[in-house]
Formats: sequence, structure tokens, C-alpha cells
Amino acid sequence: MSRRITSLLATSAAIALAGAANADTVRIGITQNNVGIDSYQTTYERAFIEAADANDDVEVIVLDAGGDVARQISQMQDLIQQQVDAIIIWPTDGQALVPAVRNAHRAGIPVVVTNSNIAEAGLEFIAAFSGPNNIQQGIYSAEMMCEALDGEGQIVQVTGMPGYTTAIERQQGFDDRLAELCPDVVQLDIQPGDWNRERAQRTMETFLTRFDNIDGVYSGDDNMGVGALNAAIDAGRAEGMVFIGATNFAVGYDAMARGEYWGSVYQSPVDDARAALQTALDVLAGEDVPLLNYFDTPKITQDNMDEFDRPVF
Amino acid sequence: MLLTRLKAGGPAIAKQGILVAFILFMIVFSLASDRFLSMDNVMSVLRQSAIIGVMALGVTVVVIGGNLDLSVGSMLSFATVLVVDLHDKIGPEMAIPVMVFATLCLGAINGFLIGFLRLNSLIVTLGMLSAIQGLVLIYSGGQNVDIVDQSGTWFRFFGRGAILGIATPIIIFALLALIIHVVMSMTPFGRKVYAVGGNPTASVFSGIPRSRVVFATYLISALCVAVAAIILGSRVMGSQNNVGQGYELQVLAAVILGGTSLLGGSGSIIRTVLGVLMLAFIQNGLILMGQPYYTQWLVTWAVIIIAVWLDVAAKRGRLFSPIA
Repeated sequence: MSRRITSLLATSAAIALAGAANADTVRIGITQNNVGIDSYQTTYERAFIEAADANDDVEVIVLDAGGDVARQISQMQDLIQQQVDAIIIWPTDGQALVPAVRNAHRAGIPVVVTNSNIAEAGLEFIAAFSGPNNIQQGIYSAEMMCEALDGEGQIVQVTGMPGYTTAIERQQGFDDRLAELCPDVVQLDIQPGDWNRERAQRTMETFLTRFDNIDGVYSGDDNMGVGALNAAIDAGRAEGMVFIGATNFAVGYDAMARGEYWGSVYQSPVDDARAALQTALDVLAGEDVPLLNYFDTPKITQDNMDEFDRPVF
Repeated sequence: MLLTRLKAGGPAIAKQGILVAFILFMIVFSLASDRFLSMDNVMSVLRQSAIIGVMALGVTVVVIGGNLDLSVGSMLSFATVLVVDLHDKIGPEMAIPVMVFATLCLGAINGFLIGFLRLNSLIVTLGMLSAIQGLVLIYSGGQNVDIVDQSGTWFRFFGRGAILGIATPIIIFALLALIIHVVMSMTPFGRKVYAVGGNPTASVFSGIPRSRVVFATYLISALCVAVAAIILGSRVMGSQNNVGQGYELQVLAAVILGGTSLLGGSGSIIRTVLGVLMLAFIQNGLILMGQPYYTQWLVTWAVIIIAVWLDVAAKRGRLFSPIA
């Protein structure tokens, strides 16, 4: 938990600094979901602190809920007590955090939700949401699948953890767009891979047993996509099979470079963090900020991958 | 009652409630899907079950000794992250022994706290479940780890290789099951584990070094986790920080399904293997039949509860408890 200690130290330093700083600086508190649980969130935090450091007019208080809803609620209370100018929250639970967000709203502190949105009941209390558009990511994946298969073929889908908004939206965007764009691409079955590469590999092995002809595989992220790819390679059936993921991971990037993986959607934690800070600053500057601020997550394929850095996660 | 007659007619069969249930399910699934019993599918399920299976062997020994081990899930994350990360840094021939040693140290902490300090195993291993996950995150800094040269390393043999056409994970699982079965059923140590789990007080009065036996069961459990991590790391050629999350429950489910009593003192390695296989075949069979995941959750747990009930009923010769 060294990271948490560092950020706590950073917090006290930030508070001390904020006292000394001139009146023009704004104080923004952020409570994150679970830094350290994956590379995405780790990089996000680093990028957020860097972006804040680069701006002399901003002091940030960086907190992490460690995936714990109760801890995040008390962090929200702390930030309200400290009367920060704005709060950025990466909800551990979109539903359970609604009352805490409402309290901040009542205290006159604008709340920006980052990365994963809060439940619909809470939307009226937030100033803005900033993050990726999961449905759009699913749509992009469907378009790539369609293109790769020339509008015809049989595919299977490996989804994320059942019940997670991200998993549901990526599936929904894909399913709807695919049906609309190329009705001749048939989805043979959809099963979860639980965001776990080994689990995805098991799911794909069973698909390979069950179906003699699989032309394409769509996965909720590249981590699972590479698990499916491994299964197909082991079975000697990867040749000519199209693999597409909804979020590009380093392993997917590498597989793409080897020509084994067709394409994915590029989502940068650095862009995510910068967009969150910028949205909060725009809100504080009194600009007319739309409720939903999506940052761009472009398609990445074997053809254009040179334009992108290898993902850090 | 059928079961009463079953018991009167053949006590040997009645005691194998799990085996009967297993065969029944195999028949139902093979009727529902013609690919279920194909050689390819059976081999694939056996290979898939090896990771959970190897872990379940160790946990069975712990449970027979009268304790629980819930820390195996995050211990698996720890061991897999460690072996995969070290693979590219110091090479597999060094990474494997270092990882095995580190994992045994974690097992030794469990064993010391539970065996020598006599702390409650549920509390200790539940605590270790979180503590080890924290350790993994500190070690990896939240980054996923991957083996860069996947096709050039001999490390791939454990998860992707085969001997005489049989996948290596299956062979490792089978060999380890055989060894631990022999240890548990034919050696003095095995008898001591049963004695300690069955009646701790009596075992002490019989001169059995209870603390040392409990300590040893946790070392065995940790060793099994280390073996599972080698298979997992080699099969996936990478690791997430939380790769073993939730595995502890699947492992425990297999152990319970195998009829090992959570009160300690009874159970068998062979029956745990049956429990592991049954769970793996159920999950595979339901996907082959095209059932959605929620059906799988429902059916898996319904099967566990029914199988445990049948097992208990067969042992006591009636479906309902005589003392209601």
C-alpha cells in the first residue's frame, strides 16, 4: 500500500500548499476507485497528478477508495468538509454513491464523475461526466468485425464480468451495430470471460469444441481476446480467424504486431485523466459543459497501429 | 425408501453418492450434446480442471486436518505474478524455485499462525486473502505482467505442452493427486492428519505433534498453489494481479462436492478429484448446450447442494435427518 501512503503524503502536502497558495488557485479533490488493482488505474492516477502539477493554478487532493464503497463515502464527506472547489469521483459503485454525490451537490460543490458513470438517479446532482463511451467502443468493434469478415460469417463473443456496466454496454453497442450493419454475420453464442484471460481461454476452448466453423471472435477487452487467441492457436484453428477486442491492451497490441490480432479500440488512461481534470476546470470556469463528455477512443488495427504508443496496461 | 434399500443392498455403492451423481450427470449431458464425450472435449475439460484441481488437492489436506484455507486464491495471484515476472528477469530455471520458496513462506505464515499459535483458520486465511492481494499489488505496482518470448521458452511445456499426446497439466494433476493420495492413505503422516482433524485433543494425548502436522498441511497447500501457478502462468503466458480472485470458492466447492467434511477428520483425495471433474464437466456441458451464464451459476450450485445432500443421505440411509 505504499502508493496509498504516497498519495496521503501528497494530500497533506497539497493541503499545506493550498493554504500558502494565492487565492486564484482552485482546489480539486479526487476519490478514485481502486488504484493499484490494474495498470489502467495506476497510470490514470500518475497522469492525473502530472496534469495537475503542470498547471500552477490547480491544487489537487488525491484519494483512493481501494474499491471500498464505505471508504469512498467517507472520503466524499472529508472532501466536503475541506470545502474543496470541485470533486472528481471514480465511483466504486454507481448506485451506492448517489447520496454522497447529492450531499456534495447540496454543499454547493460541483461533482465531476470520471471513467464509469454514476446511476441515473444521481445524474441530476453532477456537474458533468467525463470518460470513455463504452457503447461507442462496442459499435467500433462491430464495424471492424463487419469489415474484417466482408459482411458475412459466424462469430462468438466473450464478454466481461456479467453485471458490470462496462461489460453490458460494450456488448450492447456491438450487438446492436452488428445486427444493423451486417445481418449476415451470425453470433453463434455469447459467454462471459470475467475480464480474466484464463477464464476466456477456457470459454473459447469450449466454443471450439462446440462449433466447427468460427470466423471471428469479439472480446470485451484484449486481455480476454488474447486468451481466446491462445485457445485457437493451441487448437490449430487460429489461421484466418478474426480477433477483435473492445479495449486495446499491451498484449493485444503485441499480437496485432505479430499479425495474429485484427483490431481493437484504443483507450488511453492518460487521456481519461486529463479529460477529467479539464472537465472539472471547465465547470469551475463557468463554461457551458455538456453533461456527458466522452473523450475519443479511436479504432486501432494492424494498419494504423504505428500511430499509437504501446498501451501501458 | 430407495436409499434405505440401496444401503441395505450395497453399502459400498451407497457410500459413493458423489460417484453415482457424477455418472448420472455425465449421462444426461452426453444425451444433450453429442460432442460432450468426444475425446477432444474430455481432454480439454481435463486440462481446464487441472489448475483448480491441483489447488483442491492441497486444500483437501488442510480441511481433513480440521482447518480451512481461503487464502489460496490470492496466493495463486501472488505465485503466478511472481513466476511470470521473474521469468523474463532471471530466466525460468531460477524463477520457478524462487516462486516456490516465496509461496511456501506464505504457507508457513498460515501454518505458524494456525498450527503453533492456534488461531482460528477461517480468520487467519481470510485475512491472508486480503493481505496477499495487497502484497501482489505492491510488488507489481498494478501492472499486468507478460512473458515476451512466448514460443521460445521451455516454460511453455507446463501449460501448453504434452507427453504422448496427453496435455502436461493433466499429467501434473494426475501425478500430484496420486502422490498426495498415497501420502494421505498409506503413510503415518496421513493418519496423523486424519487424527488431528478428527479429534485434536485425543490426537495430542496420543502423542501426535498437532502443531507440526497442521503446519505441514499448510505447506502442502502452498506447494499445490505453486504448482497451479506454474501451470497457469505457462498456459496464459502472463498474469493479472487478481488472476486467482474467486478461485478459493471454486476450490472449496470442489472439496465439499467431493464429500470432505468441513469439520475435519474425514475425506479423500480421490473424491476431491471427482468433485473437481464434476464441476468442470458441468460448466463445460452447460456451455456446450448453449446455456447462458446465469443458468450455469444456478445449476452448478444446485448440483453441489443436491450432491452433498445425496451423499449425507446415503451415509445415514435416509433422505431427511432422523433428528428433525
